[in-house]
Amino acid sequence: MGQTIFYILISTVICVAYFTLVDHYLMDMQGLDYWYLFRK
Amino acid sequence: MGLITRKKVFSIMALCAMVSLLLLPVVVSIPSLAIGADAPDAAKKDEAKVEKGRDVYYKTEGVVVGAPAPKTTDGPKDYPRYNFESRVLLWFANQQHLYYGSFVLAVPIFCMIIEFMGVVSKDKALAKRYDQLAYDFVKISLTAYSLTAILGGILIFTFLTLYPAFFGYLSSIFRPVMHIYALMFVAESGTLYIYYYGWDKMKEGFLKWIHLSMSVVLNVIGTLLMFLANSWIGFMMSPAGVDEQGRFLGNIWHVIHTALWNPLNVHRILGNMAFGGGVVAAYAAYRFLASKTDEDRAHYDWMGYIAMAIGVAFLIPLPFAGYWLMREVYAYRQQMGITLMGGLLAWLFIIQATMIGILFLSSNYYLWQALGRMRGAEKYQRYIKYLVFLLVCGFLVFITPHTMVMSPAELKAMGGQQHPVLGNYGVMSAKNGGINVIITTTVLSFIWYMRGNKVSTVSWSKFGNIFMGVFFFFAYVNIIWLAVYGYYIPANVRVGLSVPQVATTLSCLFFMTTLNGFMMKGAKQMGPIEWGKISVRSQYALIMLATAFTWMMGLMGYIRSSVRLFWHVNEIMRDNSPWAYTHTVGFAANMISFNVLFFWISILFVFWLGSLTAKKVPIGEKAGVPGGAPQPAGSH
Repeated sequence: MGQTIFYILISTVICVAYFTLVDHYLMDMQGLDYWYLFRK
Repeated sequence: MGLITRKKVFSIMALCAMVSLLLLPVVVSIPSLAIGADAPDAAKKDEAKVEKGRDVYYKTEGVVVGAPAPKTTDGPKDYPRYNFESRVLLWFANQQHLYYGSFVLAVPIFCMIIEFMGVVSKDKALAKRYDQLAYDFVKISLTAYSLTAILGGILIFTFLTLYPAFFGYLSSIFRPVMHIYALMFVAESGTLYIYYYGWDKMKEGFLKWIHLSMSVVLNVIGTLLMFLANSWIGFMMSPAGVDEQGRFLGNIWHVIHTALWNPLNVHRILGNMAFGGGVVAAYAAYRFLASKTDEDRAHYDWMGYIAMAIGVAFLIPLPFAGYWLMREVYAYRQQMGITLMGGLLAWLFIIQATMIGILFLSSNYYLWQALGRMRGAEKYQRYIKYLVFLLVCGFLVFITPHTMVMSPAELKAMGGQQHPVLGNYGVMSAKNGGINVIITTTVLSFIWYMRGNKVSTVSWSKFGNIFMGVFFFFAYVNIIWLAVYGYYIPANVRVGLSVPQVATTLSCLFFMTTLNGFMMKGAKQMGPIEWGKISVRSQYALIMLATAFTWMMGLMGYIRSSVRLFWHVNEIMRDNSPWAYTHTVGFAANMISFNVLFFWISILFVFWLGSLTAKKVPIGEKAGVPGGAPQPAGSH
């Protein structure tokens, strides 16, 4: 059980980081600000 | 000289002949290029007489070498007619030619892929089965090929007799391209016939590789043929290489390479493959339903699966290619884009969204049914309802219109052009989310199917499974989050959100199928795939898939063509016939349905002809079939 939770945590960290990077960089490449709402 | 050596020499000669035919158009075009190159020199000598024009698209100057686009008038000279709408006759001829053309271009690509799979397969029985399948495919396309040529002839005669002024102008611009097209058609025919009739003689060893090379040559020619034909429609939508009067400026590459040529090429090649896959899958379904033995059922079940898998593999990137095409349309003329997606033709796009949804729903349904032929796949059955939920939600959002064409009374009743609640879901941000959820779910269904009867044996399988689940979960979260986020940011920022949404879907497609592939290496099989033991409903899903492809192709062709409105060649040559108006949605839908019906009746005739061929096995005795279980089982 502990191992399963550990795997889920690791996977979550990797996936969240990956999709955030994808969102940020692909918007940045188009000259757009992904964090527009949060910076405002 | 031994028999084998003679065969080798003959095969190499045949291949060389095909490559020479392929290069022939280039050689033939050299003198015309040379003439083109000389033209400016000759012009320098007598500059006073030279007239120059400015390219409407490239904005470069060039020497005028063509006549202006004719200014037509409504009458028998420019628009000879029967007591019937000429445009409808042309629509019919064009659509039928396109259906068959797409089919015969797509099927040899399948053959090439499947024959290659057979050649590289280490399992001899499986290799034979692949070879048999590729042969079955090409057999179907051969009869369809003759029909394509006949329909092409009918199309040209229809143009010549009903739209002589327009066709005269188009052929004056594309003169060398049309000749190259005709020569390439000869090369295509020759290669196809050698490829088909040489199947038995070139079935092993080095000769088999030569045979496979022929399919590559065949497909290169076929693809180039399609690119050339695309240049004509690209020119009609977004002309280039001519001045504002439509006079040719001597640069044939500019005329071919218009603003929309490349997006059209990519979109059409993917569309053709998806369509071809659908038609072959429907053929297999028809044969499955008509089969009287388990052996035949097993064979056609497998054939249907392979065709459907190839078709869907090309269907998945198709919306992205469509998105690129639309983006280029907007970049070329914003008004054209608005007419398509926000104006006169917007309702047709709602129908298109519905058809896309049907395609994906049918594909998923087939895959879920196909899980039933695998032992061990029961574990996924209870989760299917969640996939259905995701698909239905994505579908409903995807088909919700933003604004609607309404009567004043309807407008008043609804309180505006947008529905107070549903109108919120009809925006692009939400629609992008909808279609990406649908595609991601299809990828997930495919992955479940691929691992249906297998259990991973790699040491890290637990982590792999969890990672895969978490990746899909966050992919959905990201797609939906971006769709919602779009409502809170300005339109100029929102428009960019579609790119990370697409990237998320593609990440699932590429990373997860690769990860699944690694996990399933050396996997334990719970049991063989029992080919032929699939519900009859699944075969109707394949027929549905093919019909939806056909209908959507007709619809999109109509939309693309009618966006020119009252122009033969956009902003260059005006359509002055009595039919220079846009049909009602109802008329267009009926016409598309008629075309679809005609195509399916005629292709049934082609299937029937194919079934008359007694020769079923070109390579030795028939390889073991499922039930007597075919070994595509292990490899899907």
